[in-house]
Amino acid sequence: MTAIAPAPLEHARTLYEPQPAEVVAVEKLTDLENLYRFRLSSGEPLGHGPGQFVQMSLLGIGECPISICSSPTRGDYFELCVRRVGEVTGHIHGLKKGDTIGIRGPLGHGFDVHDMHGRDVLIVAGGLGLAPVRSLIQYILDERSRFGAFHLLYGARSPAELLFRNDLTIWRESPDVNFHMTVDRPDEQWRGRSGVVTTLFGELPPIDPLETMVVIVGPPIMFKFVVLEVLARRVPQKNVFCSLERRMKCGVGKCGHCQANNVYVCLEGPVFRYGELKALREAIE
Amino acid sequence: MLDRIITRGRLVELVDELARTRRIIGPVRRGERFFYEPVAKAREIDLEFNYCVYSPKKVLFPAREELFMFERNNGSFRTKPLLDERPTALIGVHPCDINAIRLLDQVFSHSHRDDHYLARRRQLFIIGVDCPAECTAGVFCEDMKSNEANEGFDLMCYPLSANGASEDMRYGIKFGTDAGREFLLYAQAGDRPTVEDERAFERYRAQKRAAFQRRIPFDVDGLPALLDRSYDSLLWEATARRCYSCGSCNLSCPTCFCFNTFDKLDLTLSSGQRVREWDGCQLREFATVAGGHNFRPQAASRLRHRIYRKGKWILEREGIPGCVGCARCDRACTAKINSVEIYNQLAEEG
Repeated sequence: MTAIAPAPLEHARTLYEPQPAEVVAVEKLTDLENLYRFRLSSGEPLGHGPGQFVQMSLLGIGECPISICSSPTRGDYFELCVRRVGEVTGHIHGLKKGDTIGIRGPLGHGFDVHDMHGRDVLIVAGGLGLAPVRSLIQYILDERSRFGAFHLLYGARSPAELLFRNDLTIWRESPDVNFHMTVDRPDEQWRGRSGVVTTLFGELPPIDPLETMVVIVGPPIMFKFVVLEVLARRVPQKNVFCSLERRMKCGVGKCGHCQANNVYVCLEGPVFRYGELKALREAIE
Repeated sequence: MLDRIITRGRLVELVDELARTRRIIGPVRRGERFFYEPVAKAREIDLEFNYCVYSPKKVLFPAREELFMFERNNGSFRTKPLLDERPTALIGVHPCDINAIRLLDQVFSHSHRDDHYLARRRQLFIIGVDCPAECTAGVFCEDMKSNEANEGFDLMCYPLSANGASEDMRYGIKFGTDAGREFLLYAQAGDRPTVEDERAFERYRAQKRAAFQRRIPFDVDGLPALLDRSYDSLLWEATARRCYSCGSCNLSCPTCFCFNTFDKLDLTLSSGQRVREWDGCQLREFATVAGGHNFRPQAASRLRHRIYRKGKWILEREGIPGCVGCARCDRACTAKINSVEIYNQLAEEG
């Protein structure tokens, strides 16, 4: 790369350069997942909306996309729930309070919360799917008067894999949300419900289908069965939303990795309406 | 209408003048084949080239480039972008590749502007050379309506006399940009075209139209609709049985722009670069997410993805065709998979 000069030190950030963010808190959630709270070193808020994601960099290791799991209503920090699955996330799990990482974002198209204002909301989350919708859950709880009835159903594979246990306790006791959870495989200590997440639909009161916005986030296999329950309750397909997972390298609609048929999940998503997904054969296959 | 007429000898002189202020890249003969390479003298360029094995994409969007450098200290870091702003002239670009560059220009400039591509593009002066005949067997640029280019170049040269190698052979010139016009006029190069030159240009165009064959027996405007009907065709799997998923089609394509990024650490471990390099949707791991799930595990689904991008999706997203009919993918394919054949077989199915 001869003759390519670096820019002056003070420059407007280019598309692929991350900005520094400091770890202000680390919390172990499960054997595989940690929750990190960050503040941008610039002191600015991230400026995200619920459902958006960031590209998280460890310079010298690499970059990976992570959903933002806190609401912008919570202050000038943002939280990321990171599952240890690869090289970058493995190194992220070595981070301590005070460390600095790189952030690009917020990226993508999140939940249209304004569209949800004045409506009832039903959120169905499975496994790690709770992380991206937690930003929306917090938003609704913080702006509670803007929403009607709020139902939240959460399923995990086992008690050990339950995420955000502090939140689960708060939500269970809160009058602001009708919260139910289940695990597929209970252990001996488990006193709660067991079974797949769709069994929780039995806990719901009758919903007003035309006034309810439904958000479904979880593994592809869960999506189909939850959509069945929702459509059976006559919710219009345009009121059903989902967040997709894909490999995102650039996060800005260039690199091609996250494409599902003709859409770039990083640009047009990760949040889609069910009506849009139906035409996207690769979205949930 | 032509803007100027110049001889080949004068064109070569002009390129040498350009070389005083710019890096010059053009077709260079290597055995039987041509490659775009940097040259010191205009004479090293062979404007009688048929086609270059790799497209000029590699000049604007190198196969591997460093995006920024970083320095780590005390747990923090700082970054400095690496932008290639070397003035460059690309000499000898055929209309298909000019059309491909137009697509790349658009992809890298809309919504999120890619500074790295655009820094190179701003500094690139393009002299196109029109093709009087098909450059090689199997091209389908006529079908893709990309064997002519009306924009996307600074100057376009139309070879009006047949004897390409002689010094006094005449090129008709069209200006594509103000930079192209100014370059020629400041050099006081070229004559105003006469009525006879315009007639020669008309003859050239008529001969060109006759020289290009159609290989797709339907209008390419119908290709997106055809693909729409063909998502579940058995042809994808039938063709993919031969596919080695080697990605040669992606690498040779002038409009493929997918890439991967990774970090490189210097030996000190305190500094390094983030690098991007071409990636290909035909490679097995392309759509694999962390944790190992692959959203396109079968060669058939990857092959269909590429053909849909080329024939439908890029056009729908960008308003510019995703395929320019250069047939580099077909020539590069180790399994002799042929995109025109796929289009025609799909058409046969209805």
